[in-house]
Amino acid sequence: MASQARTEPPSQIAALLSRPRPSLVAIIGILVVLALIAWLVANFVKDPAEFVNVFLIGLTRGAVYALVALGYTLVYGILQLINFAHGDQFALAGLLASSVLLSVFNVTDESGAGIVIVAIGVTLLIAMVFAATTNTVIERVAYRPLRQSPRLAALITAIGMSFIVQNVALGFYDTQFQSIPRLVPNSDVFSVGGVALQWNKFFVLLLTIPVLLALTWLVTSTRHGKAMRATSMDPDAAAMMGINVNRTISFTFALAGALAGAAGLLYLLYFTTMRFDTGFELGLIAFTAAVLGGIGNLTGAVLGGILIGLVQEFNEGLTVLTPGGDWTRSIVFGILIAILVFRPSGLLGEQTPEGG
Amino acid sequence: MSKEERERGDGKGNGLILEVEDIHTYYGSIHAIKGVTLEVHEGEIVTLIGANGAGKSTTLRSINGLNHPREGRIRFQGKDITNEAPHNVVKMGISQSPEGRKLFPRMSVLENLQMGAFQRNDRSAIAEDLERVYGLFPRLSERKSQKAGTLSGGEQQMVAMGRALMASPKLLMLDEPSMGLAPIFVEKIFEIVQEINDQGTPVLLVEQNALMALDVADRGYVMETGVIAVTDEAKNLRQNEKVQKAYLGIE
Repeated sequence: MASQARTEPPSQIAALLSRPRPSLVAIIGILVVLALIAWLVANFVKDPAEFVNVFLIGLTRGAVYALVALGYTLVYGILQLINFAHGDQFALAGLLASSVLLSVFNVTDESGAGIVIVAIGVTLLIAMVFAATTNTVIERVAYRPLRQSPRLAALITAIGMSFIVQNVALGFYDTQFQSIPRLVPNSDVFSVGGVALQWNKFFVLLLTIPVLLALTWLVTSTRHGKAMRATSMDPDAAAMMGINVNRTISFTFALAGALAGAAGLLYLLYFTTMRFDTGFELGLIAFTAAVLGGIGNLTGAVLGGILIGLVQEFNEGLTVLTPGGDWTRSIVFGILIAILVFRPSGLLGEQTPEGG
Repeated sequence: MSKEERERGDGKGNGLILEVEDIHTYYGSIHAIKGVTLEVHEGEIVTLIGANGAGKSTTLRSINGLNHPREGRIRFQGKDITNEAPHNVVKMGISQSPEGRKLFPRMSVLENLQMGAFQRNDRSAIAEDLERVYGLFPRLSERKSQKAGTLSGGEQQMVAMGRALMASPKLLMLDEPSMGLAPIFVEKIFEIVQEINDQGTPVLLVEQNALMALDVADRGYVMETGVIAVTDEAKNLRQNEKVQKAYLGIE
């Protein structure tokens, strides 16, 4: 930033003259963005209320992606490791949450509001603690011994861990979908001129926002957060400051796990059903979101998650010139490839020791 | 107490603070340190000089706990720290300005300095030390809210040294503080090393710039491929023919 300030051009005209000619890629990029905007405007004009409704659905889905994407980005930021097991942790925590809700609290469609609130609160805590614990154990057992090894070894181990967690879920829950009653009603919070927000969406947003604020506070303002930031920039230097690097990494995995646990429960409450492999695709989508925003960058993960959620719902919910649900995966992973090719550091810039 | 130590008579050389005893350290599978013995006493500046790859930095990494020696002993203020974790070594009072400075690039100058005091709780003493650092490096006080990654090399070196001082160390280790700096900065850095030492902190100084290092140091160790080749008073090392030829560029 400082260098930009120092190289301020003498005049507007000189700036225009000295500006390099835009590359072909930039021109295509601008055209794609313009086409996207035109498409969104066309859809908005056709049915403004429906457009906003689809936007709200996308936002809700995006919030769940954001929570999972944060886990990828936290871990990548500190170890430069893609924890492929993260998505499966999310699913396992969600499945555990379904068991707790069904078997411990015996929730049904008729359960009163009081019991549902208590059940959700306790289950949230259990899911978060469970995923935090398993994630920390995975780091201790599978990743720590490989910290000095080539990165490929850790990557393959992460993929292996993903299969192990997924198969643990398969072992306990088999291939059936675990379904719970709709605990958070899908009645309207408000409805104005065709635009409506339902409680189950509102609930996801209501829970996600404080989690994100708490996480931001934790990383920017606490001792643990400072240790995390320092370790992510330079582990050796962090150790020289008196930071217990191993404990900081464990803490980061616990935090990422807790987010995955929360996301697992939210997913379950919103979609009411999931199974052992739900985390595989959702994990990859969340990873795409993290890369889109800039891996290692917390704000980026949230932005990426919401954007991917919106892309998905716009594609599936809008009507004018929309490819439709069959194309969702192609589009989402097309975005991943486009980002890796044209802007590897993501929208907001990656934050890793290499990424500056 | 040896004859030289008594003769100096300025209080230096009393009180052994760091003892490194015949350590062997491996860097991966490379036997990088093959039996190094060195000492730092209260109030001293001790320099470790030698060519690139001689094992100077690995010696520091053995002391600060980042790279534990496989054999030998390291004692700090009489306590065995050979296998101590790095964060505990800092707590015990050894801090370091590492080679290549290793600042936290996305943190401001002030945040970097505060990271130096990470393991301390005494707020008022930390504030005093911050003032002391700003006193030594007035430039840092002007740049305190600037991101460390955007500073010049010389300024970054100041932050690295200031950050190490913020730990309120009982022993300060400086790894190549003059590397890559303009000559005017090099002079300045060595003046400040002297000043820090005058304020009472013993310094273990690793340098390739042997001439400058021997100018400020009380004693020196010359390292060659993992062993100490020569050790003596700094003024004697400056006169030593072998050292002059190999490291001081004097024929």
